[in-house]
Amino acid sequence: MSRLGEFELLVLLSVLRQAEEPYANRVREDLEENAGRRVTRGALYRTIDRLVEKRFLAWEMEPSQVPERGGHPMRRLFVTGAGLAAAREARDVLVTFLDGLDPVPGDA
Amino acid sequence: MRAPRLPARLLARVLRNDPAAPAILGDLHEDFVRLAEARGRIAAGLWYWREALGLAAVRVAHGLTRSVRAASAGSLGSLFEDAAYAGRMLRRSPGFSLFTAAVIGVGVGAATTVFSVLKPLAFDPPFDEAHQLVWIQNVGQAGDGSLSAITMRTLNLIDFRERAATLSGITGYDAFFSSRSWTLTGVGEPERITAVGVAHDFLDVLRVQPLVGRGFTEEEGRRGGPPAVILSHDYWRTRFAGDRSVVGRTLRLNGEPRTVVGVLPPTFDFSSTFTPTVEVDALVPFVVSADNNFQGNVLALIGRLRPGLGPEAAQAELSAVVHALGQEDPERWGLGARVMSLRDHVAGPFRHSLLLVAAAAGTLLLIVCVNVSSLLLARLPERAREMAVRKAFGARRPRLVRQLVMETLGISLLGAVVGSGIAWVATRAVRNAAGIKIPLLDAVQVDGSALAVAAGVAALTGVVVGAIPALKAAEGSEADALRSGGRGSSAGRGAGRLREALVVAQVALACMLLVIGGLLTASFRAVLDVDLGFEPAGTVAWSLHPDTAFAAQPNKVSFYERLIERVEAVPGVEGAALADALPLGRNRAWSFDVVGVPEEEDTEEEVFPHVVDPGYLPTMGIPLVAGRNFSAADHADALPVVLLNETAARRMFGGARQAVGGRLEFWGPWVWEVVGVARDVRHISPELGAGMEVYFPFAQMQDFGTGELIVRSSLPPDQVAPAVSAALTEVAPGMPVREHWSLESRVREALSERRFALGILTTFGAAALLLAAFGIYGVLARTVAERRAEIGIRMALGATARNIVGNVLRRMLLLTALGIAAGWGLSLLASGLLESLLYGVRPAEPVAFAGTALVLLGVAALAAALPARRAVGTKVAEVLNA
Repeated sequence: MSRLGEFELLVLLSVLRQAEEPYANRVREDLEENAGRRVTRGALYRTIDRLVEKRFLAWEMEPSQVPERGGHPMRRLFVTGAGLAAAREARDVLVTFLDGLDPVPGDA
Repeated sequence: MRAPRLPARLLARVLRNDPAAPAILGDLHEDFVRLAEARGRIAAGLWYWREALGLAAVRVAHGLTRSVRAASAGSLGSLFEDAAYAGRMLRRSPGFSLFTAAVIGVGVGAATTVFSVLKPLAFDPPFDEAHQLVWIQNVGQAGDGSLSAITMRTLNLIDFRERAATLSGITGYDAFFSSRSWTLTGVGEPERITAVGVAHDFLDVLRVQPLVGRGFTEEEGRRGGPPAVILSHDYWRTRFAGDRSVVGRTLRLNGEPRTVVGVLPPTFDFSSTFTPTVEVDALVPFVVSADNNFQGNVLALIGRLRPGLGPEAAQAELSAVVHALGQEDPERWGLGARVMSLRDHVAGPFRHSLLLVAAAAGTLLLIVCVNVSSLLLARLPERAREMAVRKAFGARRPRLVRQLVMETLGISLLGAVVGSGIAWVATRAVRNAAGIKIPLLDAVQVDGSALAVAAGVAALTGVVVGAIPALKAAEGSEADALRSGGRGSSAGRGAGRLREALVVAQVALACMLLVIGGLLTASFRAVLDVDLGFEPAGTVAWSLHPDTAFAAQPNKVSFYERLIERVEAVPGVEGAALADALPLGRNRAWSFDVVGVPEEEDTEEEVFPHVVDPGYLPTMGIPLVAGRNFSAADHADALPVVLLNETAARRMFGGARQAVGGRLEFWGPWVWEVVGVARDVRHISPELGAGMEVYFPFAQMQDFGTGELIVRSSLPPDQVAPAVSAALTEVAPGMPVREHWSLESRVREALSERRFALGILTTFGAAALLLAAFGIYGVLARTVAERRAEIGIRMALGATARNIVGNVLRRMLLLTALGIAAGWGLSLLASGLLESLLYGVRPAEPVAFAGTALVLLGVAALAAALPARRAVGTKVAEVLNA
């Protein structure tokens, strides 16, 4: 997990989970609902920027017809090949470290 | 639907170098629209402001830290060093630090106070999951100010409960409770209390947990169920000294025993939420059953949405239910449902004042920022030398910027402390202010979130006001600074222009606040000057609640006649009269038919009924326009007669003269003849003109049980009241008589929203004026100080004191005039926000504009006087030798 912080990993995975609508608002909802954490807008955008800097994430602007957006475009997020590799690596590290432990670590 | 423009623009500006900016704005907009649908525009608007400003602040802070970190490869240690250095610098000029902190404190205090006052109303009614609560009202005639146009019949509640699936619960309370009479006996002196009839599940739907005991049971809500009562927290504390053992005791209300089953918690104050003008002492069960439907539109309904649903879902469903019910029973009347969030219902009438107050606080904060910026700029020349020296020794620019920002942050934190103190005092003052009846005022307090707002606002102020001067101070070459630091002003020239621009901005903003304050003051005076149609001065009123022995008609009339006779005999009393509804108090409507007008021409209009005795019009000072007043001859067995007000006479018969002799039918079998027309009275509010009103003689009215006694006297109320109370006790020994009020106090209460907005605006306006004066003084004083050499030379060359003073004053006039012109423009833009609060005044009232200009010029002249004198006092030799 050396290349990815925990929150970065969650954001990356969440982008992958949004099959049809990989947009920042959906990612935020996903994290709030399913990861059970409060996600401030500032933190999410910062993390996206950081992942883009690390070349794990890319995005392109697309026009939006959704009336709620008041004519503003949407930003479609993609996980790059390097991002996928980093996510896999993080998973492997976790699996290795969990291997051999009790199903719930710490329980006797 | 559009998101608030200002924060959107601000955010767009902060993000201008970010290619993702349009999408980020879109994300915010999307959430804003969703929130507006779920929780109303006000809440969504406030949320948007918070979110946009938060995001902008994070970006700015991030940018700053990044540049500072990049430049100084900042270790934590150097940060501490800077903090310590900033502390030393602040201690070195304590006067400047404290003054600046006080100025920031004023802005922070204003923002925090307004936040605390608005918080319960705008985002946080004191209920569990408050966003699920909706207000369900009837659909009365548009513009109809009467309460019965929005309340429901009991059957509506029963049917809605049965058929509405979008709501997990619907409950209601008797909206006409203030006209029902409850007398508590058996605990000391008899006492009139105000009790609200509520459906048994009222507390359950609101999710209010009683402090002691429990809510009502279903059985207690049935006809003939065990009589129960729940005490309000305030009443329990004052009347029973907070004794918990009162639960389970039996009290006698109107002679009937009732068991106290619970005490409301301090967090739920019925009146401050639903009826800010009426204190409520207790809750009693209201029987929700078909046989109670005869009471007509009396219930106010509140529902709780199922999780995840918005008011529009309930609206759609209830509209369908109403339609179906109407088809099942075409005869049924009083059907209708309009759903809105409870928050919007409670805050709605005050929305304009609240927005205005919030905008005013924002303006004041802006003035503070501008003011502090110019104070800091004024110190630039002094600091320029220090900066130059440090630069010469190798300090890099970002480090210097960081250090200067540290200093302002330190001052701002001090300002936050001052501001929190101001807010603490101010919120207490608002909460305890007599005569202000704004909902949820009891819940107003400076809590953790308010302190967080204070700290946040202060920190933001610090960064914003500190950044510009800091960047300015750290720019330029050290050689320049060292050279110009010695004498003259060249380093300060650019800064001087900037400072003058800041003064113009301050004057402009202060001008706007003052113009708005002036317009509100003018409106307030216009409302005070309104001819109410009656004479409130010199009157005192009592609520009369004789016990049930007087229920039979002949007794009642003779009882009241005896009572009036006895009261009129009290020395100092000039007149006494009875009425069932005094102006600016109760509110209701009856339908009627004009005899002789064909059914199809008949409109669905309603009248406001009053039941009065012959003394009412003279005692209230309401003149008769046509016909005659009631007299003793209009007794129960005589021909039924009524009086109309002018509006009713005009709308029903075409005029006062034509109305006399006209005949009306109300819901009874009798036909009532119009015998006279009285002048219009402002009954609902001082701002609203009269609707149609009808006066009935109390001797002929069947359901006249309780009433209000009105006494006119030339003596002050405090002197005449005890004697009248004693006279009342003599006639009716068991009747509570302690509570009385003057009609003037009613008028004052009716103006409380205006008073609230006006009070805050004038305070802010005064603060703004003071700050602008400081700003003008600061700039002129600095200019004079900087130009001492020049002034000295000019005086040596023969310039007179007049010339010199003229110079200083011209500068002042120019700056102030520019500020006033800009301020007028801003005021015109802002007056749109005001329109609903203005009364009898145009948004562009010349007097307010001209008056403000005069005040500002006067204050500017005062602020300029000292620097001007100092300029004249310049000693030529001293300056030239310096």
